[in-house]
Amino acid sequence: MHIRKWLSGPVSIAPLVTLRVIVGAMLTFSTARFWALGWIEDHYLRPLFHFKYFGFEWVEPLPATGMYAVHALLILCSLCVMLGLFYRVAAAAQFLLFTYAELIDLTYYLNHYYFVSILCGLLILVPANRAYSLDVLRKPTIFQSKIPHWTIFIFQLQLGIVYFYAGIWKINHDWLVHALPLKIWIPANDQLPLVGGLFQQKITPYLFSWAGMLYDVTIVFWLSWARTRPWAYLTVIVFHTLTGLMFQIGVFPLVMVGATLIFFSEKWHERIWSRLSRFLKPGKSVPVVQTDSFGMANAVSRKTLGAAPRIIPHSSFLILFFLFQILFPWRYLLYPGNVFWTEEGYRFSWRVMLMEKAGTATFFVKDAKTGREGEVLNSEFLNAHQEKQMAMQPDMILQFAHFLKKHYAQRGMSDPAVRAEVYVTLNARPSKLLIDPNIDLTKLRDNWSHKTWITQ
Amino acid sequence: MSHRSSFLARLLGLTALCIVSACGDTNGPADNFDRQAMLRNYADNLIRPAYADLQTQADAMLAAVESFNSDPSSLTLGRLQTAWGGAYVVWQYANAYNFGPAGEEGLRKGLIEEIGTFPASELKIENAITAGAWNVQDFNRDARGFLAIEYLIFGKNQTFDEVIQAFIQNSNRRAYLAALAENLRERVAEITTAWNGTYRDEFVENDGTDVGSSTSALYNEFVRSYESIKNFKLGLPLGKRPGQTQAEPHLVEAYYSGTSLAALKLHFSAIENIWHGRAKNGSDGIGFREYLENVEGGPALIADTDTQLAALKAALAAVPTAPSLSEQIAAGNHPELDALYVEFSKMTRFFKSDMSSLLGIAITFSSGDGD
Repeated sequence: MHIRKWLSGPVSIAPLVTLRVIVGAMLTFSTARFWALGWIEDHYLRPLFHFKYFGFEWVEPLPATGMYAVHALLILCSLCVMLGLFYRVAAAAQFLLFTYAELIDLTYYLNHYYFVSILCGLLILVPANRAYSLDVLRKPTIFQSKIPHWTIFIFQLQLGIVYFYAGIWKINHDWLVHALPLKIWIPANDQLPLVGGLFQQKITPYLFSWAGMLYDVTIVFWLSWARTRPWAYLTVIVFHTLTGLMFQIGVFPLVMVGATLIFFSEKWHERIWSRLSRFLKPGKSVPVVQTDSFGMANAVSRKTLGAAPRIIPHSSFLILFFLFQILFPWRYLLYPGNVFWTEEGYRFSWRVMLMEKAGTATFFVKDAKTGREGEVLNSEFLNAHQEKQMAMQPDMILQFAHFLKKHYAQRGMSDPAVRAEVYVTLNARPSKLLIDPNIDLTKLRDNWSHKTWITQ
Repeated sequence: MSHRSSFLARLLGLTALCIVSACGDTNGPADNFDRQAMLRNYADNLIRPAYADLQTQADAMLAAVESFNSDPSSLTLGRLQTAWGGAYVVWQYANAYNFGPAGEEGLRKGLIEEIGTFPASELKIENAITAGAWNVQDFNRDARGFLAIEYLIFGKNQTFDEVIQAFIQNSNRRAYLAALAENLRERVAEITTAWNGTYRDEFVENDGTDVGSSTSALYNEFVRSYESIKNFKLGLPLGKRPGQTQAEPHLVEAYYSGTSLAALKLHFSAIENIWHGRAKNGSDGIGFREYLENVEGGPALIADTDTQLAALKAALAAVPTAPSLSEQIAAGNHPELDALYVEFSKMTRFFKSDMSSLLGIAITFSSGDGD
């Protein structure tokens, strides 16, 4: 079969090594940053209540020492991945630790954390430590200069899915016709140096909306094609630097600028690595990592590739995984109403920076025996970020209502009923009720079916 | 450059042209809003005058404490109570700016927590006096500040003479009162000095909308201050929280002097001033309201907010001025107070989520979703 032959055909390992180093370095950096900003405390230790991911209700934060240990280990594993030391174990641990931390609280969900989780997961499957690694230093026989094509293609495919979906979701009325939410976000950043003046122009949000959509939809094609690649990559840098300056999006620009390097040619990556190794070991031919034989299939790799030329390991898993990646984002079509409003099928779909939405949620708890109804002070239980996220997302509102029932029942209230008045503004429209303000939320359970109590 | 990328450039250019021609009103610069001008107005016409007033009144209160302590009499106590009342009035106009020099730093909390915590802990205050030992820097914020001083000089169910006698008979009581008034004055002086020094320019120049920007800090404190009226000055004493089985009138602010309602009205008028960017003397400058005039969806929100402000003022005016708030709550039947609480609640979303969303103000440090 043609595709299978192409997927298992040999290519240089260099791009994969670059990716390994970038992901390891980036996770080391972002985890250290997270720690230094005091976010382990703020995100995991201080809140009295954590919002659960559907199906992952069993994930709980550890006590302080445990959470710090998780992050210390994550830094250690990411360093190992970067250096290619005990690679498979380190990559697996890196994936598990990072994903565990992300699964603790749903209100911290970010598409780019999801993307990093996927990157880490896929890295476990590929032999990214077979060159330029401490593992090769330890055990020179594992060295491989060529690897099957699929090991690189899966990352390109994943990035392609991220960009493409991010682009097509921008094809909607608010984004293209009203330049919303950029019409809100761009003027709010008009004090930035250099671009500030541009940001004060009325036309700018429209230009950025259209350019952003076209960019996301097509960038992978420009990156894949050698002739446009340098220019495309330049726009990647400009685009992500700009969004990084404008929005509070943490390390995400770095993630994308680093990861898109996977589209560059084998030669380009090889050149980088041979230059780097000459720089690191000037005057030597670098026998330890056998860079002198780089680019030539050596005995080991020829043997590996020759022994099983057409069999792609994990292929059924990978096919299922990418089918999921391609199909899951469309599940929103199975729900009635506007996905921006209901958020049914919104997450895990690469809908990024698509809308400006905020809400005020007021919860009322009623004692069944006395009939007395009290108004909850959300900040008594949630931090500002949790409250902000919860106040516009129905499944989180439901979770919080169940928490309140439990909390007040424990404090002696008899069979507490919980209702919520939730007013949400979407893309600068006047706020209106998100859910039925009279329904007792404690009688409802979250599931895959449509939430009929959401106001349309 | 390749054919393909020049094609892309042409495509982009064409798209831009289409948009320009399709949306005629998008040409030219927007009505730019000058955030620095807004911040300048807040700094020079609202915040600094508020702290200057507070400083004057805190000095006067300390002086009144000193003359009372040296000669406790009905004359000096009367003067002290008046000085406290004067300071507490101007405090309502200064209590919403708990950032910068008035913000949290290390173990020190914001000014509102440091000098405005209520209810005061009678137990802690009396224990400190009995022990003759106190620390005005520790976490016992309910044993210092305005409301602790209020408890001492107005007394709980005590006659005027009984209050005076308590001070005459106990030098610790006098010393504690002096320490509290001194601490309050000092804390206010630090902040006033900072605002009169370099912080003013720092505040005006930090004109972004991110977390840590002046607009974000001012906005967040404005909302917090607004919500504190509803949740703590009204809701809690009215017994509006789940778990409360009845009204708790003693939880009102300024319980001992019986001035809760007057303070609440002033606090609300200070909030209204911040919304308008209006100085205490009534001269209206550039504020959040003007800022909203310049953003998508702003005019609709202004209309809603102004309507609700009018409803709130009407509800406030409907509340009887006597007896005191705690007595009204204790009496049990208070439809005007319940109505006022409802009107306060209706405003929350306009100030809280709608306004921050329309202005694109960041309210938390956590990263948002990337693009």
